[in-house]
Amino acid sequence: MSDLSSDALVENELANTLGAEGCDYRKPVIELLEVEKHYQMGSVLVKALRGIDLKIFRGDYISILGPSGGGKSTMLNILGCLDQPTIGTYLLNGTDVSNLSDDALSLVRGKELGFIFQSYNLIQQLSVVENIEVPLFYQGISEKESRETAIELAIKVGLDKRLDHRPTELSGGQQQRVAIARALANDPAVILADEATGNLDSKSGGDILEIFDQLNSDGKTLVMITHDEGMAERTHRVIRLKDGGIAFDSRTEN
Amino acid sequence: MTFLTFLRGISLFRLKRSIVLGVKSLWMHKLRSLLTALGIVFGVASVIAMLAIGEGASFEAQQQIKELGSQNIILESVKPTNTTTAGEQERSLILEYGLTYQDITQIQATVPGVQVTVPSRRVKDFLWNVSQSVDGTAFGTVPWFPKMKNRDVVRGRFFTEIEMKDCSPVCVLTESLARNLFPLNEPIGQTVRMQTSYFRVVGLIEDDPVVAATESELEGSAESSEGMEMIIPITTLEDHFGEVLVKYRSGSFEAEKVEYHEVTARIDDADDVMPAALAIQHILERNHEDLDYKMTVPLDLLRRAERTKQIFNIVLGSIAAISLLVGGIGIMNIMLATVTERTREIGIRRALGAKRKDIVMQFLIETVILSGAGGLLGVGVGLAIPLAVTHFANMVTIIQFWAPTLAFTISVAIGVLFGIYPAFRAAGMNPVEALRHE
Repeated sequence: MSDLSSDALVENELANTLGAEGCDYRKPVIELLEVEKHYQMGSVLVKALRGIDLKIFRGDYISILGPSGGGKSTMLNILGCLDQPTIGTYLLNGTDVSNLSDDALSLVRGKELGFIFQSYNLIQQLSVVENIEVPLFYQGISEKESRETAIELAIKVGLDKRLDHRPTELSGGQQQRVAIARALANDPAVILADEATGNLDSKSGGDILEIFDQLNSDGKTLVMITHDEGMAERTHRVIRLKDGGIAFDSRTEN
Repeated sequence: MTFLTFLRGISLFRLKRSIVLGVKSLWMHKLRSLLTALGIVFGVASVIAMLAIGEGASFEAQQQIKELGSQNIILESVKPTNTTTAGEQERSLILEYGLTYQDITQIQATVPGVQVTVPSRRVKDFLWNVSQSVDGTAFGTVPWFPKMKNRDVVRGRFFTEIEMKDCSPVCVLTESLARNLFPLNEPIGQTVRMQTSYFRVVGLIEDDPVVAATESELEGSAESSEGMEMIIPITTLEDHFGEVLVKYRSGSFEAEKVEYHEVTARIDDADDVMPAALAIQHILERNHEDLDYKMTVPLDLLRRAERTKQIFNIVLGSIAAISLLVGGIGIMNIMLATVTERTREIGIRRALGAKRKDIVMQFLIETVILSGAGGLLGVGVGLAIPLAVTHFANMVTIIQFWAPTLAFTISVAIGVLFGIYPAFRAAGMNPVEALRHE
């Protein structure tokens, strides 16, 4: 009992000292408890993640770094509810999602998570607005409402003149902005970005990062998978993975 | 996930959006979609066209048979081709064959249900109106001939029983004969000559529909003597031309003795037609050594025509089923390729919150749109073909209202049937792997 209350005290203290960054330590959005992910590769059992304990708080701005094979992709898949942990518990917004059915997991993905990929992953046959509407459609939002939301988001990321363009008619930076707008559509708890600037030149990459900064200062929780140290410097917390475990987890002062 | 739980998850709003999306995706690959649907187009079109043509042909055949009268049994005299008694006949110089008085009296006396018989005899020679002549036939028969043969008297009247009793020299002309013999003036009241006998025209009767049908196919055969008939009482025919018919044609001499050229027996009840036909067959077999007669039973023909139609329909159905099956396999093949090609899109959609059943629905709807559009196009083509056939080949075609409906329904059903497997394959993909797919 006394341990718990002292924990609470520490967290309170942290909240008071670090609250200026817009990060609320009383509300973990993501909690990974003893999470492990194993793969069977032929006759070898590969432990992609081992014993991960991680708390991500509301308003956090995190970059996850690490060498290839260090477990970054697996981490993203687990955090993104695209895959489920072999062992351990994953609490997303207070709900245990580690044993949900496929349908329920799909719903959680659409509602609580926003994805931004390295290769944008827009649907080619749909226009800018229609692409932004996709997550809204799967949540059963009415046509009118989803159209309004999509247009609003497109304007927010600066694509107000390209609402009816196809992805092929847009530059890489513009496509990534569509992806950001799409990730924001359902007002998710966490935005996951996987090498979001990897395919962009430094100018448009910088623009995208500025949008991320802006989103975080608006209170959004962002988790970026990256190998770009420069990008990591912009975030408030850096996690380094090595051999499936967390090797380093620190807050940086901006 | 079972199919039923999937169906329960469909809401109308999503259905509408999914249809729009499906059309968009198919529109992206217009040529491919068109080629894929082509199998169904041809399948459906051929079903409708073949049904219409088959239905029209059998309707025409049945119509002709019905003209003969379904309660009738028609007996005809046929000149035997190689007779066993040829030697005797050469000696007597008169070829004697065909139906006899004795046959008919026996049939009337012994076969139950025979109500009326229409005997007829023919004499072929030139028919004259003053100096105008037509190669035709004097056709001797009885007053109830028009009723039995379903032929209308178009003008004037038919001859009466009294006129038959009195062997009156009156005649009724077929319309085509009247047209040829009296091209300018009113035929009724005029006189027609054959050999040395004169006959007064009392009425006109419509042409034999069977002859008329064959006539129209050989267009403009004005020289044909078929259907050029002067119908007179059978007693008058006997009176004027005797029992032995002598012909002098192109220098050769030919004498025949035929008592009846044709006899039509009407049976009271349609159910008795087949047994009566059997009984008549027995009588004729006993009376005739040679096969110098021919029996036609329209009802039997009708039944055979119906059976032929049934077989035709089965063959047609199998061909249609096979062609639609091939079309369906074509669609499935393309959909499987599409699913593989769009693996990434499936991954994206799954990441953005699509459930498995959403993916199933998306691809299933796409397949159904493809096959349904093909079906619709096929219905259009299938309706056009019979019109063209009627227009160019002058054939009767009948489109039954259920044929296009059925064909379209089947095309949609094929979409569902052949779309299920690709759709479930798409939905079964692992989102992580699908996203990684290049």
